[in-house]
Amino acid sequence: MSNVKAIFSHFDGLIDAIADLKSEGYTDFAVTAPLPRHEIEEVIYEGEPSPVRWFTLAGAVFGGIFGFTLCSITHLNWPMIIPAGKPLVSIPAFIVITFESTVLWGCMFTLIGLLYHCRLPAKDMDPELEDPRLSDDVFGMVVRNLDHATANEIKSKLDGHGAIETSITGVGLA
Amino acid sequence: MEYPDNNAEAMVDTELSYRQVTTDVLEPLFKFGKAYWAGLGLVLVGLAYGGFCIIQQLVWGLGVAGYSQPVFWGLYITTFVFWVGIGHAGTLISAVLFLFRSKWRTGVYRAAEAMTIFAVMTAALFPALHVGRMWNAYWLFPYPNQRQLWQNFKSPLMWDVFAVSTYFTVSTIFFYIGLIPDFAAIRDRTRGAISKVYASLAIGWRGTDRQWRHYMAAYGFFAAFATPLVLSVHSVVSWDFAMAQTAGWHSTLFPPYFVAGAIFSGCAMVITLLMPLSVIFKWDAYINEWHFEHLAKMCLLTGGILTYAYLMEHFIAWYSDNPYEWGIFAYRAVGDYWWVFWIMVICNCVIPLVWWWKKARTNYWCLWIVSIFINIGMWFERFNIIASSLAHQFDPAAWTYYLPNYIEIGVLIFSFAWFFLWFLLFVKVMPSVAIAEVKELLPPPLRTDAKEAAK
Repeated sequence: MSNVKAIFSHFDGLIDAIADLKSEGYTDFAVTAPLPRHEIEEVIYEGEPSPVRWFTLAGAVFGGIFGFTLCSITHLNWPMIIPAGKPLVSIPAFIVITFESTVLWGCMFTLIGLLYHCRLPAKDMDPELEDPRLSDDVFGMVVRNLDHATANEIKSKLDGHGAIETSITGVGLA
Repeated sequence: MEYPDNNAEAMVDTELSYRQVTTDVLEPLFKFGKAYWAGLGLVLVGLAYGGFCIIQQLVWGLGVAGYSQPVFWGLYITTFVFWVGIGHAGTLISAVLFLFRSKWRTGVYRAAEAMTIFAVMTAALFPALHVGRMWNAYWLFPYPNQRQLWQNFKSPLMWDVFAVSTYFTVSTIFFYIGLIPDFAAIRDRTRGAISKVYASLAIGWRGTDRQWRHYMAAYGFFAAFATPLVLSVHSVVSWDFAMAQTAGWHSTLFPPYFVAGAIFSGCAMVITLLMPLSVIFKWDAYINEWHFEHLAKMCLLTGGILTYAYLMEHFIAWYSDNPYEWGIFAYRAVGDYWWVFWIMVICNCVIPLVWWWKKARTNYWCLWIVSIFINIGMWFERFNIIASSLAHQFDPAAWTYYLPNYIEIGVLIFSFAWFFLWFLLFVKVMPSVAIAEVKELLPPPLRTDAKEAAK
């Protein structure tokens, strides 16, 4: 199977190429950009939100419960005689720790969610993406797992969208 | 499809290309000139003297510091609050202004965020120094132990431990995540061992659609978590004081008063640090008059709130008809510490007023000098609150006059040297301007534009 690599210097050419590939039913491709552009996300994922948010929610809920429980259990473990009838488990006094714990665990879980969904840390990426220009000033695209005839077809399609460089890589090259 | 021009407010030169941004921002890295070595030398002298003072205190105990009955919070706690406050502007700029989609944030946020982390690292030294036996400072954190001893979570000092450690962790995560795409850019621009180091730091980032999608979602959540921290951390620091019965401290005004003061001092420190950075690195396209004017306006707003708080705490003390409360506020203005009080008022309330004139807040020298006065004034504000209230408590027989001694001054110098050491290292090993985000402000290169240009 072959892969097609394309480099674009113009952003609109890239977006048109992605839209074209999607309309023809190709889904196994990756696009790289040296900066975040929401247009890429919109055309590929069509507004579907990132699942990282569920990690954030889970972390924040866990953190809130953890913070309040930590304060409550430790105070009940050493039940000191507090003057003026103040309760051992005191909501106003424990709010600060609960809040801080919510934020801390929410962030930790978000970090885990981010790394998990981005597949990071990564050592072996597509070799086509290991191009130093891609973090600088051009946009890249790799369309994967194509037979030779389709690869040629995709290559000429991407050329037509203004790719400044296209190549066919991978196993089974003619 | 429409491609919105993010550069609507003319923040950076629109003629810049993506490649030019990468080149400009990475240009100063790993190049150490004579001025840099001179700065580093000065910092090392400060660290050596401060280190000597810290060793003195470790060997002989807290008695070598100027603490004496009844003043057991002095310069160390003053400087702790000062540095925690400095950090706030970085988080405000990087997180709050991100959520508000403020464009002037982009050029300055990376260095401001670094400032936050180094300021909190500096602040964190002080509770450890202040407790005396600093090798036992880990007792501040709850950990399972044989005797099942736990901290008192109803104490505002424990709240502070959690607030500052959470603040440091969240700020560091936010800072590092922001740096990952820029580390990848350095990895791709360098060779050999340096490239390998940055490849490890970039953890395999390639800027794919999948990575950017989750990255931008997570970045928004980090910003949303960091935003309440801007308000909460200094509120909690203020409760270290306000929850005590000490006259001059026990006030509900403290949280907003401290938060405004923190942002005021932090924005001033951002001006103090970034102006030389912009001039020396010739980064006028990225950090310029426009950014500094916004920072000055932020100082005017928060300085106004602070001045109001100064007036209001004196008014409340008088209106309360509480002789102890009114006594301490009168003592601050005309007692032993009158000079501290008036340095605070002049530096924080009077001198920054010059920025109401546009010419003054767009003149580099005026901006820089006034920002230094604000830094001085804000340190004295904390000293004014702490020293005067403790030296002049309820029992006149215990009244005293506390001034820091050479050991404490040495530790103060150490804190500045420590902060600037990290900042000097930062500007040479990390991009002080966010490359990927500045590129976002540039109009994307379009085929349609190229065709029109060809005509």
